[in-house]
Amino acid sequence: MAGLVAKKCITPLVVIRRLTYPEYAAQAAYHKKVVDHYENPRNVGSLDKTSKNVGTGLVGAPACGDVMKLQIEVDDQGKIVDARFKTFGCGSAIASSSLVTEWVKGKSIAEAMTIKNTDIAKELCLPPVKLHCSMLAEDAIKAALQDYRVKQQDIEIEAVKASN
Amino acid sequence: MVSLTIFRIICTSEALHILPKLFANRRCLSKTSIYATLCKNFINFSSKDTQNNSCFKPVSESTGKHVSSLLRTFSTASEKLNCWNCGHSVEQTPAFFCIFCNFVQPPDEGASYFQIMDCDQTFALDTQRLQKRYLDLQRTLHPDNYTHKTVKEQEFSEYQSALVNKAYRTLLKPLSRGLYMLELKGMHIQEGTDAGADPTFLMELMEINEALDGARSREEVDKIGAATREKLNDLTKRIEASLHKGELQAAKAFLVQMKYFANIEDKQDQ
Repeated sequence: MAGLVAKKCITPLVVIRRLTYPEYAAQAAYHKKVVDHYENPRNVGSLDKTSKNVGTGLVGAPACGDVMKLQIEVDDQGKIVDARFKTFGCGSAIASSSLVTEWVKGKSIAEAMTIKNTDIAKELCLPPVKLHCSMLAEDAIKAALQDYRVKQQDIEIEAVKASN
Repeated sequence: MVSLTIFRIICTSEALHILPKLFANRRCLSKTSIYATLCKNFINFSSKDTQNNSCFKPVSESTGKHVSSLLRTFSTASEKLNCWNCGHSVEQTPAFFCIFCNFVQPPDEGASYFQIMDCDQTFALDTQRLQKRYLDLQRTLHPDNYTHKTVKEQEFSEYQSALVNKAYRTLLKPLSRGLYMLELKGMHIQEGTDAGADPTFLMELMEINEALDGARSREEVDKIGAATREKLNDLTKRIEASLHKGELQAAKAFLVQMKYFANIEDKQDQ
């Protein structure tokens, strides 16, 4: 599934593997961490968006035409217990969103809000031209957290109305 | 033959006296000596054999070039570009070749892709005409034609050929053409997330992508492909209308949508 999702970038990866000069390869190739996320995808999938414990973040990048969906499941104590993503775009975008889903698991909402695109880019060693992919992932997690917060607020408002 | 007439006018005995002084003033001593030799040769030729023009031709062509470059040193400094080889003023924009000596010129910095490909700056483009222009240009500009020429000519031919390739590729597809037209008007698509994106639209895109991903048979893929192409055609018409009316923001929004669908169309081929 991830294969089809990210097939757009398989050609550059194949080409880049053929490069033999190590210095050039280090500059031009996808970092091995990015390749790892691409070949061994983790947390790909969907959660039930209608569930009250699930927050969904859906973002798009106009310049490159990437779309990213990130979903989190939060328990009653405000801790993120599960996260899933689906990204249609380049390898760096896929790796960024995959990394975010790994990081948020076990974190509280407040902790998850502190995730920065610079941390993602540093971890994946993204080149400058791909920094916008990490930005997209940061926006996706923030959107998911925001969606969850709005849902919780709506539930509270409903509860207040019901009690009156 | 005009150059020869000029030669005759200049090559009077009086002129021969005055011109070296003028050249000295302009610090063109080397040119003075060349010019004097040329004049001498010309006088010898004209005195020997005025009937037979065939031997004149090779001399006159090369001297023609020299004359034009020399004449240029007399003329006042102009703002226009001049041929690096013969010094003749390069009239047209964009100039690929000098109209006088036909040597390839360096690319014109200020020429837009539309000017290079000789097309009107509109979104509605005749792709047949574009293709014909591209082939005509490459026939004369391609580096393969310059393998036996000077290094400078080879260099210029490479730059020009690459620029023509870029212009052709940009103008051929509606998406890149539209984005280029916005760029010419100073509008760029910013990097990063689109904060004002319509969530319903993104959801729709997500669903199409997921459907394409999950498609198991060729028919399913083709069906999605056909729907995407229809969407792209619709967007092309809308972009044309917006750009025609000068509604840049609307055109930008449609081009962004087109980018997403173009990505889907690319995936369909895999």
